[in-house]
Amino acid sequence: MPTESLTNEVRLLRFLARDMTQAELGKRVGLTRQTIAAIEQGRYSPSLEVAFRIADVFGKRLDEVFHWNPGGAAETGDAT
Amino acid sequence: MSSFEKRAWLALWSQCPPYLVYFVVQGVWPNWLTTFLERIACLAVVASVHAIAYVTGLLVMKWQERAEPLLLDERDRAIDGRATRTAYFVMLAGMIVVGVVMPFSDTGWKITNTALFAIVLAETVRYALIVTGYRRRPRLAH
Repeated sequence: MPTESLTNEVRLLRFLARDMTQAELGKRVGLTRQTIAAIEQGRYSPSLEVAFRIADVFGKRLDEVFHWNPGGAAETGDAT
Repeated sequence: MSSFEKRAWLALWSQCPPYLVYFVVQGVWPNWLTTFLERIACLAVVASVHAIAYVTGLLVMKWQERAEPLLLDERDRAIDGRATRTAYFVMLAGMIVVGVVMPFSDTGWKITNTALFAIVLAETVRYALIVTGYRRRPRLAH
């Protein structure tokens, strides 16, 4: 069974963006608050388009927000 | 919990109890109702209970969400798509039984009730998969 994982810094970046709420971020990228929460917790991997939109909101490159861990365990602090 | 997930729970809870009672009664006491009118009335009562429970729940939800209307995003659509795909095959299997196999061995209300059961089962599978879809670990390919 593959153990690849996609981790992200969305929660940290929200905090750094003056505590942007999940709802606010969701509104800006066209997702619900629940989906933003699922992305932060590693329960949902967004499409490439949405990943780019999220990175764009924070003014970051895609690889600064999302990290691909080939064969490694999830290492986001907020992953469940 | 997202609005879409809440609606799936509502659909499950409004649909399963009345139809479960109906199918258990039909299965255990198949001759309890004898005339066409009685059977149709029984079915109408079950369908009405389902409809009233669902519509009431939906109205309550809409009232609670009045400030935040239902928004389906890509995750909701992906979960719905997976659930609907599986439910389609359940429905297909049910319709094959009802339309291809049963006409050669059964008649009347048995076919009707089996068809109804297939529809209810397919709907139940769909909503159950939607609910579980929000809890599963992600697959990285969409």
